[in-house]
Amino acid sequence: MEAMQPEDLLLFAADAARLMLESGGETYRAEDAAMGIIASQGGAEAECFATSTGLMLSYTGEDGKVRSVVRRVKKRGMNLEKVSRIHALVEALQADRIGLAAAMNELDGIERMRERPALVLTLASAFGAAFFALLFGGSLADAIAAIFLGALLSFLIRGFQRLKFPEFLTSLAGGAITALASLALRSLGAPINPDTLIIGVIMLLVPGVAITNAIRDIIAGDLVAGIARGADALITAASISAGAGAAFAIWKLLGAGGLR
Amino acid sequence: MIIADSSLLPTVIDWLKGPLYAALATSAFSILFGLHSIDIALASAGAAVGWATFLAMQATAAPAFAAFVAALAAGLYSEIVGWSRARPATVYMIASIIPLVPGGGMYFTMLASFEGDPMKMTELGMATIMTAAAIAAGLAIANAFGRIIFAALVHPMLQRTRKQ
Repeated sequence: MEAMQPEDLLLFAADAARLMLESGGETYRAEDAAMGIIASQGGAEAECFATSTGLMLSYTGEDGKVRSVVRRVKKRGMNLEKVSRIHALVEALQADRIGLAAAMNELDGIERMRERPALVLTLASAFGAAFFALLFGGSLADAIAAIFLGALLSFLIRGFQRLKFPEFLTSLAGGAITALASLALRSLGAPINPDTLIIGVIMLLVPGVAITNAIRDIIAGDLVAGIARGADALITAASISAGAGAAFAIWKLLGAGGLR
Repeated sequence: MIIADSSLLPTVIDWLKGPLYAALATSAFSILFGLHSIDIALASAGAAVGWATFLAMQATAAPAFAAFVAALAAGLYSEIVGWSRARPATVYMIASIIPLVPGGGMYFTMLASFEGDPMKMTELGMATIMTAAAIAAGLAIANAFGRIIFAALVHPMLQRTRKQ
């Protein structure tokens, strides 16, 4: 097999860290993955600086030359299976259980891992919303309404993602449609509590895990990354609430039912 | 022998209802977060552990402290499961804190600000940040405990390289 170029190793390590960040891994874990890969192949003095929007990686090769690369992180999703598999891959490299070429193939496979079918995702969103409505003290009627609104919201989220709309618009529209639909159901006579229904359904959008991860990053010492994640969470929450707040205001303006 | 006290049964059901809903909601979210097969069940059980702890603590303690203890419990559970499945504990941590996490708080804080109620916004905002920080601290401490325990348990020859 042909010898691996130092540049290949650098790009591979950077891609592993980028994929880790895109899949919702912690910042230090992404940095450790990149540095671990390079250390496992005999590279000296690897340094990685990652935030939730991008990473820089540089290392000194065996020939004494310093190489570096920058990767932007554009997607910020959550795929814990990918996090776990990248982690296992880095461990395998460090323990010399896998060669570099095989590891590159493996990373490629992880990157191209298929998402679950749309039907499964829709059902999961629907029942997730319903059980959250129940957890927050909703009635059975709230849960049944949440099933439909959750499925609707899931469609909306994926549709907007496919159209490459900014996340801000997705959250705004999600908040507005959830609130409007809940208020409309109530005024149509459904025995639901709009507040419980809305908060149950909106759990699909709300950045609770994001704000907690932001603080986890800050605790771990990744201050810049933590602040960035926190700002992201704040904007998402603000846009959901702006959507819902606008829906409430419009509803009041229309004078429909005099609900709020 | 059936439980003699008939009033006990509804209480027990009430007690189990919360953790059950938390587990079911988490199993749905675990699917959205890309977990597979047995991991979904394990993460959901972690959420039930966390939520049950939260409910038990909530009766006596401030919400943020209850969230801290609940996150600690869920975090320790995740450390154990992650270690026995040879996976990073964070996979189970992130899933099992889903019911605890102040997503609703973020939403209500911002809603209060849009409705022009700065007092309510400050109050809710502080509570939200405190809860998030308490959960993060609980997880960090659980992680530290996990590392100490497993470092002591595992023979150096077999020790996996555990990142924080």
